[in-house]
Amino acid sequence: MRAPFPCHPLARRSLLAGAAALSLPRAASATLPKRGGRLTVAADSEPPNLNPAIIASNGVFFVASKVIEPLAEAAFGGRDGLAPRLATGWEAAADGRSITFTLRQGVTWHDDRPFTSADVAFSAMEVWKKLQNLGRAVFRDLEAVETPDAHTAVFRFAVPTPAQMIRNALPVVTSVLPKHLYEGTDIMRNPANQKLVGTGPFRFAERRPGEYTRLVRNPTYWEAGRPHLDEIIYRVLPDRAAAGNALEAEEIQLAAFSAVPLADLDRIGKVPGIKVISTGYEGLTYQLVVEINHRRKELSDVRVRRALAHAIDRDFVVRTIFRGYAATSQGPVPKNDRVFHAQDVTGYGFNPARANALLDEAGYPRAADGVRFRLRLLPAPFFNETRQFGDYLRQALAAVGIDATIVSNDTPAHLRAVYTDRAFDITVASPVYRGDPAISTTILFQSGLPAGVPFANQYGYENAEVDALIRQAAGTIDDAERVRLYRAFQKQVTDDVALINVAEFSFITVARDNLAGVSNNPRWAVSNWADLDFI
Amino acid sequence: MRRALALLRRRVLGVVPVFALVVLGAFLLLEAAPGDAVDAYLAGIGGGDAAQVASLRAEWGLDGGPLPRLIAYVSALLRLDLGWSSAFQRPVLEVVLERLPNTLLLMGMATLLALSLGSLLGIVCGARPGSLRDRALSLTAIAIYAMPGFWLGLVLIVAFSVELRWLPSGGIETVASGLSGLDRATDIARHLVLPVLSLGLVYMALYLRLMRDGMAELWSQDFVRAARARGMTGTRLALRHVARNALLPVVTMLGLQSAAMLGGSVVIESVFAIPGLGRLASEAVSRRDTPLLLGVVLLSAVVVMLVNMLVDLAYALLDPRVGSGTGGSGAGG
Amino acid sequence: MNVLRRMLATGEGLAGLAMLSVLVAVALAAPLLAPGDPLAIRGDPLLRPFQEIAHPLGTDRLGRDVLSALIHGARTSLLVAVSAAAAALFIGITVGTIAGFLGGWVDEVLMRVAEAFQTVPAFLLTLALISVTGPRATTIVLGIAIGAWMQPARITRAEILSLRERDFVAAARVVGMRPLEIAFREVLPNALTPVVSLAAVIVAAAVLIEAALSFLGFGDPNRVTWGSMIAEGRTVLRRAPWLSIIPGIGLVLTVLAVHLTGRGIGHALRARRVVA
Repeated sequence: MRAPFPCHPLARRSLLAGAAALSLPRAASATLPKRGGRLTVAADSEPPNLNPAIIASNGVFFVASKVIEPLAEAAFGGRDGLAPRLATGWEAAADGRSITFTLRQGVTWHDDRPFTSADVAFSAMEVWKKLQNLGRAVFRDLEAVETPDAHTAVFRFAVPTPAQMIRNALPVVTSVLPKHLYEGTDIMRNPANQKLVGTGPFRFAERRPGEYTRLVRNPTYWEAGRPHLDEIIYRVLPDRAAAGNALEAEEIQLAAFSAVPLADLDRIGKVPGIKVISTGYEGLTYQLVVEINHRRKELSDVRVRRALAHAIDRDFVVRTIFRGYAATSQGPVPKNDRVFHAQDVTGYGFNPARANALLDEAGYPRAADGVRFRLRLLPAPFFNETRQFGDYLRQALAAVGIDATIVSNDTPAHLRAVYTDRAFDITVASPVYRGDPAISTTILFQSGLPAGVPFANQYGYENAEVDALIRQAAGTIDDAERVRLYRAFQKQVTDDVALINVAEFSFITVARDNLAGVSNNPRWAVSNWADLDFI
Repeated sequence: MRRALALLRRRVLGVVPVFALVVLGAFLLLEAAPGDAVDAYLAGIGGGDAAQVASLRAEWGLDGGPLPRLIAYVSALLRLDLGWSSAFQRPVLEVVLERLPNTLLLMGMATLLALSLGSLLGIVCGARPGSLRDRALSLTAIAIYAMPGFWLGLVLIVAFSVELRWLPSGGIETVASGLSGLDRATDIARHLVLPVLSLGLVYMALYLRLMRDGMAELWSQDFVRAARARGMTGTRLALRHVARNALLPVVTMLGLQSAAMLGGSVVIESVFAIPGLGRLASEAVSRRDTPLLLGVVLLSAVVVMLVNMLVDLAYALLDPRVGSGTGGSGAGG
Repeated sequence: MNVLRRMLATGEGLAGLAMLSVLVAVALAAPLLAPGDPLAIRGDPLLRPFQEIAHPLGTDRLGRDVLSALIHGARTSLLVAVSAAAAALFIGITVGTIAGFLGGWVDEVLMRVAEAFQTVPAFLLTLALISVTGPRATTIVLGIAIGAWMQPARITRAEILSLRERDFVAAARVVGMRPLEIAFREVLPNALTPVVSLAAVIVAAAVLIEAALSFLGFGDPNRVTWGSMIAEGRTVLRRAPWLSIIPGIGLVLTVLAVHLTGRGIGHALRARRVVA
């Protein structure tokens, strides 16, 4: 239970920091082969299943990405915007029917077995394609993975599959599991889903439920001289006010994913020794969205949906709820995706008079009490901001004569109510945009999905043209043509107000000044932190 | 000693029907909750097909009517199987037992603080009932008693851990500190100061009141008057005769308050991020894990019963007047 | 009204009643004092108290007026607490009367049930009920009541037991009244006094339980309560401490007022008994 320590990390760290400050400029000190002790990080939840190959979500990646690696990680610059990890190269066939991955040599698992193409083939066919929340869609048409040698894996698809989409999905959907621990077992109940075994720069050490999870340095990591840190501790701090206090008291050195409340950033940014960083989440754009149940009679009328969209003051939302750390949004692809984002989507500015007129026109006049009709509003409990936007939306709708009653649920109950029972009128949701509309965006608009598929069109929205565009784009391997189709798709769904995009937000990192290497890639908080160090 | 054992045996026997009722209540709540253990289990592992559902239901004895289900529940309990926690993906018993020591520590320290400080101030007040000192202390105590513990906790955090930096703001100990022995005990003690104050101070008023009122009443009783006539005065009289006799109801109150303390720890543990039973209860509610919540409820009931038994025993040993005839007023909490 | 006069004669009772009257008046007049939805967004967010005349106690994260939330919160708090106490007293008195008057196995069973309820921490009981039924105002009231009916039941039972063999009960039997009729019509009114002085204790506890529930996020999201105000203020505790401190003071004053009033009543009733 007690952590063995070669020597006290703090003492050594401050010595080194002093030496570095005296003699060496920052760049030079980074090349020194030193290792930096213990990093304590705020964690707001403890996922019971930590396996990123099964649950590709940021809550899991936050811890698991340090232990289990994907084939490639997102990067600022670099080929295809990717940095190689377990794959060193990838080549798509011209017909879109196969992709060949060249795998890294000399990599070993944390239990010292060698990493080979068999691990990739097993993970792809048995885990990503069958069990993973996102992989089930991305690898739907994956037929087989061939392994001509120990360091080559060839993915074969039944139908032409856009390589662009697969590439964009690599950081998220390709966490590789050790075949020797999973083969022939019940994968969902394998103990290695809690005690992770991977190839990453850190090894899983222990978890004390309700207290912390501890990772330790992997001394046999394939990248020489990495990682720098000896340990990472994820300290459970469920209360968001606690993270800021703990940072100031130097009990923790890093709070990612806006663990420090946005309203507190102005203040904490002025505290000496603490820095506020708003980059490093470019690949993790969340969208603040109002989901609409099109089965509800009033909401099936596009005029009513447009009225709802006009009732929302997006600038207020960004300014007040997100304290400026967000951007307004009108369509399903965020602005920071310069490839796919369409600028000419139908926008709905804040215009309560227009909203009132549209509602009158649709045949829902105000009754004596000023109310046109009533709605059930289910704000997702995922973030403070989704809850607060729920409070705001209730007020914004009241101003145009719609009385919304807030129904608050915990996460499982919310998911069941919206995506299985469809027992809602409108919701506040926060879908993630994952760098390509095909990964987790089109599913919000495509019709005919069975009840129970979460974060998908359970809204009763049906437009044959949209369905056709989605289908056509999914089988298009030409990059430019895909972009054209997805732009047409954005135009159509915003015209219909299938759902209302309100804002795009990502997160803020708050860290102690002496932590170097923070936010140096677009998925930084969920990347491997091999180069993170104290200076 | 024999008397004490007889009392203990009678108390244990008396507790059995009460605990049976608690179990029955827990079962009824479980029945009323939407979904059963199989649903919870499958939701956690990502769903299953109809055949798997049916076979699991049969295996866990959940396919019959209410009576067979009750029998299945009770027999599982007898095997110390409290069910499966969907939120933690582990057996409930494991999860609750892991959290119990922290809660007992918090409760024990808070009780100690409330009891000692409360009795002490109660003696100070009761030594001269009606004096200015008495009135001022009593009023302060009642004002603290009116404070919500969680609010007091927040105020203490701002003052002592954020502004003054004297004490840690949460947790039960420095995470993965590598400390052991005395160093670790000191570390835990530092973490417990604020939560114990928030929980204990609120209940302190109760003991103060009890002690003070008991003493005020005793002053007019014959044996005290007699002692005074014998020439005993001041502090000595107050302590030796009056305070000692007023202590007995205070001991009874200990048993009565144990349930309230456990309830209070739910909020305090949430404020201070202490991984104990209380925070587990509120996590169970917000993650809709009814078996886990009922596990906490059952374990708390056991704790309360044990505390009451100990209190009764202590009472019997302290006060020779408690014979084998009466059941003891601290019965059941 | 001898009791009232005696109560006002104690300093505590007078202070308590005065505070409580103000609170009740504010709660009743909430729609007049702070018209409109207290959750409406009225101004700039996070205004400090005593800065703008329109928002004397400042505004919260979204720009909602703290004063009107405070006023409407008083209404919710008192309403929930008083209803919960009334429900607890009703259950307790009914059970206590039946147990005390019928005696025998009925008494035995009912008292065992009460003991079982007392074994489980009241707050956990309330949580359990809410987790099963969802956070609605009625559930919260009921949840608080089922954690608080045991003491009134015990006291009622004890009183009934001491009255059961009195002359007027025997007389009623002779007249041919049925046992439960005697219990509720003849005995109960005489046993009520000590139970009623418990009411204050239960109301005070109910205010705190409701606040704790809202604080943990298990309250009704469409209503303002002091507990939810504190919880919401907690995330900006450093930046805007008044958001948590102001409703906290409201809670302390309310509970204090109820306690002092209760003690005043207690004194007065005890005095009357001594006189009688």
